[in-house]
Amino acid sequence: MGSVQETIFGIISKEAGIDIGKISLDSTLKDLEIQSLDAVQIIFEIEDQFKITLPDRDPNFDTESVKGLVDAVERLVAEKTAAAPPAQS
Amino acid sequence: MRRVAITGIGAINALGHDAATTWNAMREGRSAIGPIVNIPTELLGVRIAAEVRGYDPLAHFDAKRLVLLDRVSQFALIAAREAIAQSGLEFRASGFGERTACIIGTGIGGENSHNEQSSRFYGDRNPRVHPLAIVRVMANAPACHVGMEFGLTGPSFAVVSACASANHALAQAFEMVRSGKVDFALTGGSEACITVPTIKAWEAMRVTADDTCRPFCRQRRGMVLGEGAGIFVLEDYERARARGATILAEFAGAGMSADAGDIVLPSNAGAAKAIAAALADARLPADGVDYINAHGTGTPANDPTESKAIRRVFGSHADRLAVSSTKSMHGHALGAAGAIELVAAIGALREGVVPPTANFIDADPDCDLDYVPNVARDMPVRAVLSNSFAFGGLNAVVAITRA
Repeated sequence: MGSVQETIFGIISKEAGIDIGKISLDSTLKDLEIQSLDAVQIIFEIEDQFKITLPDRDPNFDTESVKGLVDAVERLVAEKTAAAPPAQS
Repeated sequence: MRRVAITGIGAINALGHDAATTWNAMREGRSAIGPIVNIPTELLGVRIAAEVRGYDPLAHFDAKRLVLLDRVSQFALIAAREAIAQSGLEFRASGFGERTACIIGTGIGGENSHNEQSSRFYGDRNPRVHPLAIVRVMANAPACHVGMEFGLTGPSFAVVSACASANHALAQAFEMVRSGKVDFALTGGSEACITVPTIKAWEAMRVTADDTCRPFCRQRRGMVLGEGAGIFVLEDYERARARGATILAEFAGAGMSADAGDIVLPSNAGAAKAIAAALADARLPADGVDYINAHGTGTPANDPTESKAIRRVFGSHADRLAVSSTKSMHGHALGAAGAIELVAAIGALREGVVPPTANFIDADPDCDLDYVPNVARDMPVRAVLSNSFAFGGLNAVVAITRA
């Protein structure tokens, strides 16, 4: 289990108040009965934690499912790392 | 109980700086939503709004006075001056000011001043806050400044209910004139909410569109922020007639309700309750209404819920109603929305022209009413309802009929 996934599971569990054991990569936010206000808070927490911006209703990003969120975050974090200047030693 | 006349109308918003220009733009179906020009946009994801453009505060207020006036109070004063000029009333000279209420809604209040002072304090690390910050920011400032300029010494206060503020204010003023508590009222709503933090906050909720506002159609992507004010003069109907005033419309009734459900998700039962209450209050049969100026924000949640609420109240007559959202043109001016939309309602009633829902592309199966897409419609209009539904599940609907 990658750390991105662990962090996202943690955020979903905390913000929506659901047992972390109930969350799987295959779940959609709808399956987990997450209301729209909880969903926007989950997205906010993810953005804030990873310092990224998840696009709003972009067909290239799936923010409706847990796997979609994990993939999107991994992709955006990788893009950010690639764009950042190399660290000074 | 007395009847209540509307004898003055004033407005400033993205469509125009007065009520006549606003109404003409609505008739033409012209949308004033566009790229943001009044504030820096580099931190914004959503870079469109319905701003009041080409506005010079110094053309309306001297510099000394402006120090006291947040943009929200400026808008209220400009609209109030227009409304009062039209009514022909001289509140100070006649002594009528003593029998006049001043009740003005706003969702946020002095947001520009609040933002400016916070930015100095936190951004510039400047420990000195302007001594007039408090009186500029307070949500009752628009009502106070209108009252002070015209000498209105009756009940005066602000009404705050987010996007329903103006309609709640109108309803309150209407009740006061109808009951005889006052003879006149200045009322409506004002909002100047387009600042970087406010837009960021709306962005974070993911309910704002990045293209334009397309209420009720399948391609709608959300709401677009607007700003401005609409202010009206209400008056005892018989008194207005006796003094030979031009009666623009009769304020026939108001209905209010609360969903007491979700803080953001609207309920069609709650909205229907307010619509039905407005009809009952106005003693209007459902088939006496020809046009509804919808709340119609263009969000995924509002539009189908509002359509269901209308159907629930009007039954088969729902298919004969014209329903349009002028927010497609002047944006969502939050606490001023209902007031700017009353300009549309009055125009429709007086001229027999229903303004369209602009930017409409394809029908959405979940929104099954006649939304007057893109082009205004000539039709007889006997009575109009104007809906406003706020976050928090607060609903306020006003009913007007031909004078």
